[in-house]
Amino acid sequence: MASKHPLPPSFLPSNILFPRRSTSLRPPHHPHHQQRGIKSISPVRPNRFNHDPSLPPLGSTKTAAYNRLLAADTLPLRTGALATKSGMTALYDPVTGARTPCTVLQLDRNEVIYHKTRARHGYNAVQVGCGWRQPRNLGRPLLGHLERAGVSAKKEIAEFRVKGEKGLRSSEVGASIGAGWFQEGQFVDTRSKSRGMGFAGGMKRHGFGGQPASHGVSLTHRSMGSAGGGQGSGSRVHPGKKMPGRMGGEQVTIQNLKVLKVDEENGLVVVNGCVSGPKGCLVKIQDAIKKPWPEVLPGPPLPETVAEPLRATT
Amino acid sequence: MASNLCAIRPLARLKPLIRHQRCIKLRQRAYATQQTIPNQGQPPPPPQAATLEKAHHSMRRITLKPPPPAMYNKCPSPVETFEASQIAALDPIGSRTKLFSRSNPDAVKVGDILLVRTRSGDPFAGVCINIRRQGVDTAILLRGQLTRVGVEMWYKIYSPNVEGIEVVQRRAKRARRARLYYMRKPKHDIGSVENIVRQYQRQKAALGSSDVKGRDANAHKKKNNKRGRN
Repeated sequence: MASKHPLPPSFLPSNILFPRRSTSLRPPHHPHHQQRGIKSISPVRPNRFNHDPSLPPLGSTKTAAYNRLLAADTLPLRTGALATKSGMTALYDPVTGARTPCTVLQLDRNEVIYHKTRARHGYNAVQVGCGWRQPRNLGRPLLGHLERAGVSAKKEIAEFRVKGEKGLRSSEVGASIGAGWFQEGQFVDTRSKSRGMGFAGGMKRHGFGGQPASHGVSLTHRSMGSAGGGQGSGSRVHPGKKMPGRMGGEQVTIQNLKVLKVDEENGLVVVNGCVSGPKGCLVKIQDAIKKPWPEVLPGPPLPETVAEPLRATT
Repeated sequence: MASNLCAIRPLARLKPLIRHQRCIKLRQRAYATQQTIPNQGQPPPPPQAATLEKAHHSMRRITLKPPPPAMYNKCPSPVETFEASQIAALDPIGSRTKLFSRSNPDAVKVGDILLVRTRSGDPFAGVCINIRRQGVDTAILLRGQLTRVGVEMWYKIYSPNVEGIEVVQRRAKRARRARLYYMRKPKHDIGSVENIVRQYQRQKAALGSSDVKGRDANAHKKKNNKRGRN
């Protein structure tokens, strides 16, 4: 190399006559060849779009959430039923003499109206209706819906989420559900609308302490006091501040109520303890999700449901 | 009649005429509108039969299945039904029900001194100052004394823990209140009923238990349960 070309003066860099070429076109001949140029000093950033088939699937998608739900086994295996709260009384154990407060619920003409499926609606649920209402007081779309199910006009309609196809098959459309659907000793969750308290103050609604009866307090004994700090906290009321307002009248779930008695003839289910809402309110009863699933008679055999394949995006 | 009407109300015949004229006018207007709609080169509307059929389809009569028999008719008061089944099991001979029944003239009334024997612990005697009637949950409030301290005890009359309820003494005159809470005041407090109970028990022993057995809620049951349980 040096023999072919004249040598540059010693004060000049040795490669002045041979400028660096693009590495893409011609890789450096020498492994220790020094490269000069503009180089970024900031570290290499990863790909902003974390999307690659080799990456693990995302966990924050609806499909992933659904699969987690299946894995957690918190979806009941069968549908629930609608009942009316009849009132509270007590149950005595003749042997021990123990008194157990209980709520009497009555099931009235429960029938399965429709199956909501994962493929069509995004989740599996059984639509159940109860009671009876004059058909002339129902709209035509609903009448057609009920006619297709082959059931009578219903007063109340609700749906119960179930696990997979098997959960849907546990109760066919048009089937009636009586008090015998539940067994004595099993645990259920109840959902009902609590008693409406109207516009309630902070003391009643959130358990605020109120203000003293004396020491110069006048006319504000039950008021909520301060709604927040001054300059330090932005001189504003923070979101979610507990304040007076409408209380009650919202759905309350009571979990793990034991079924004490079942009277299939009169449609009665007696559960331990209290159920929210006034007498005569609608109560949704379903197998407790935090207890082992009750042993029920096996339904028609079905192939095992396969969890849906995870996809990176939904 | 009509002539009379005309004579009384000369304009009575005018109103129907005006109404008729209005009808005619309306009809004429409708004709006019129909004619003014431009026929934009489209084919005439489909034959009337099709529209009729469509109308017929949209107003198809939807008949639903008749409702099954209502549970409400079968069991109009579920709580009472449930309580009745429990009372039948807890009080098979109905003595406790009778002892507190409103229809029984010899029932317990507020102001009577009662003695309650329980499965565990000593019997307690006191004045009945409140009867809370609530089906199987019916309870009585007795006010007595223990170690010279006024004590009030609630007893559920159908509880299996209550072995028997005896009427020690009846109030001389009917109380004119349902709840005798005024007896908590020192002025009205009856104090200890120990002497009255002791006298009653002495009498009972002298007479033999035949007389008082009728008043006792379930005297026969007591003997069976006294030692067997707990």
